[in-house]
Amino acid sequence: MMHTLFWILPEVWLSTIIFLLLALDLKWGEEKHPLMGLIAIAGMLPLFPILFLLAKEGGSHELFSGMFRVDTMALFFKGIFTVSGIVALVLAREFGKAVDRAHGEFYLLFLIAVLGMFLAASSANFLMLFISLELVAITLYVLVSYLHTNLQSLESGLKYLVLGSLSSALFLYGIAFIYGTTGSLHFETIHAMSLRAQTLPAGLVFGILLVLAGILFKAAVVPFQIWAPDVYQGAPTPVTAFLSVGSKALAFLVALRILQELFLPFSMAWNSVLVFASGATILYGNLCAIPQTNIKRFMAYSSIGHAGYLLMGITAGVDIGSAAVSYYLLGYLFTNLVLFLVITAVTLQTGSDEIKSFAGLSKRSPFLAAAMFIGLLSLAGVPPMAGFFGKFLLVLSALSQGYLTLAIIGAVAVVISLYYYLRVVQTLYADEPVDATPIKIGTTMKMSIVACLIGIFVLGIWQYPFLAISIRSIQHIF
Amino acid sequence: MSEIVTIQQLLGLSIILFTIGLVGVVTRRNLILVLLSLELMLSAANLAFVSFAYIQGDLAGQIMVFFVMIVAAAEVTVGLAIALLLSRKTGKINADEVRALKW
Repeated sequence: MMHTLFWILPEVWLSTIIFLLLALDLKWGEEKHPLMGLIAIAGMLPLFPILFLLAKEGGSHELFSGMFRVDTMALFFKGIFTVSGIVALVLAREFGKAVDRAHGEFYLLFLIAVLGMFLAASSANFLMLFISLELVAITLYVLVSYLHTNLQSLESGLKYLVLGSLSSALFLYGIAFIYGTTGSLHFETIHAMSLRAQTLPAGLVFGILLVLAGILFKAAVVPFQIWAPDVYQGAPTPVTAFLSVGSKALAFLVALRILQELFLPFSMAWNSVLVFASGATILYGNLCAIPQTNIKRFMAYSSIGHAGYLLMGITAGVDIGSAAVSYYLLGYLFTNLVLFLVITAVTLQTGSDEIKSFAGLSKRSPFLAAAMFIGLLSLAGVPPMAGFFGKFLLVLSALSQGYLTLAIIGAVAVVISLYYYLRVVQTLYADEPVDATPIKIGTTMKMSIVACLIGIFVLGIWQYPFLAISIRSIQHIF
Repeated sequence: MSEIVTIQQLLGLSIILFTIGLVGVVTRRNLILVLLSLELMLSAANLAFVSFAYIQGDLAGQIMVFFVMIVAAAEVTVGLAIALLLSRKTGKINADEVRALKW
């Protein structure tokens, strides 16, 4: 029996860094201090060995009278949040140079959001889950509207806040009804109850569906996708990157926890809704991405499409589906981060986030163009890259449960997505650049791009160990 | 269970409040009223928690309410801050004025 402190070491470490940055931010005040970003990034790095150490210990551990639980799934997702947090901070450092005020709290807010995600990953009680989700959500509202002088940023922040709070309210009301029918907020108790249950009370169905609405909103799934394009376009680019990866992973973590772990015996209450939502989301995201001219809006629709694929794995409701969700998120993480690294590098130099400003990128920076090319192919699901195997697993899991139509929609959408991703590639390589000045990128940016590219190829070619990790990550929820 | 109000009445009231809030968020154009309607939805959930806790004789639901109140306060603080910044920029606090992005 390890000491309690050992199991909450990642959270304790992260809180220490947050307080350190808070103190430094107060000390340095309005001046832009170059060390701030470096300390934030360096502070995140030790999380990897800590998480690795905890994963090596293994098992499922409940702490604080069942409020907090450390299991393999929590650790797996904490790894994903750490990677997306680090890359978002790298982006924020580049981006901060273009912002005219001190941006100490910009890093601080990212770290707080990561802490909230860590706590949500380990929640074993609805009270804990709700508060950690709100910690993430409120931090993200501030981050999205961070550019006070930019009307687009404020507007997207407002939209995100109103619709986000609406979804939190639905989520909370759902929790109230789950509490009312099961008599408990503890996951463990509710799980035991749902295994024993003979009938499905109407109040519980109502509760599950409301909670589902909250989750689908966070994952930007049809019919709750309306906020995503506006918020992705208006938010500062590092925040968009963080939203598209960290926030999405969080939504699917909560979906796995609540739908698979707690209410799998009641799958008749939510499954048909999810099948429909998954198919509609895949079609909506992929078809609406075709006419887009703004790269961030384009990424928003593409990420909506990917949420549909991930939902496929949840719908399947078997261990292969859940493992596929974990694996796909891992591939999606590296792929999307590479794209946002390139997008930030280019938009900061050209000052425009229209797709046409990427014209002839291959002549301005062959390295960035190649990275973007690989990222787009991986998103489309072309074989040697990470995206392919994840999509393959998800479609396979849908087929294994007999969802033939859903699998066909998934396969057809791959062809559609190939069309619009390759059109961007055409802009990168075939079009003539408007001005041919080479694009300069910093060392940390370059290192992050290379690391993510390695991730894409390793996941795509040498799948077995990562598949084993994904399977291990879900072993405690069934 | 007290004889004065039944659980059905409490839940009925909670659902009515929640619906009023939901309709308010969707139809109101004034940002302050939108934020107010959001608070109403959270309060409706609080009422449901308290009533369920009461009939079950369990404290967990009542504890939840305290945390929800704090979360609601934090949420509305950020909301008002953004509304203030927007009104400084556009001179209005109307959701219709906010349309720089495609909605």
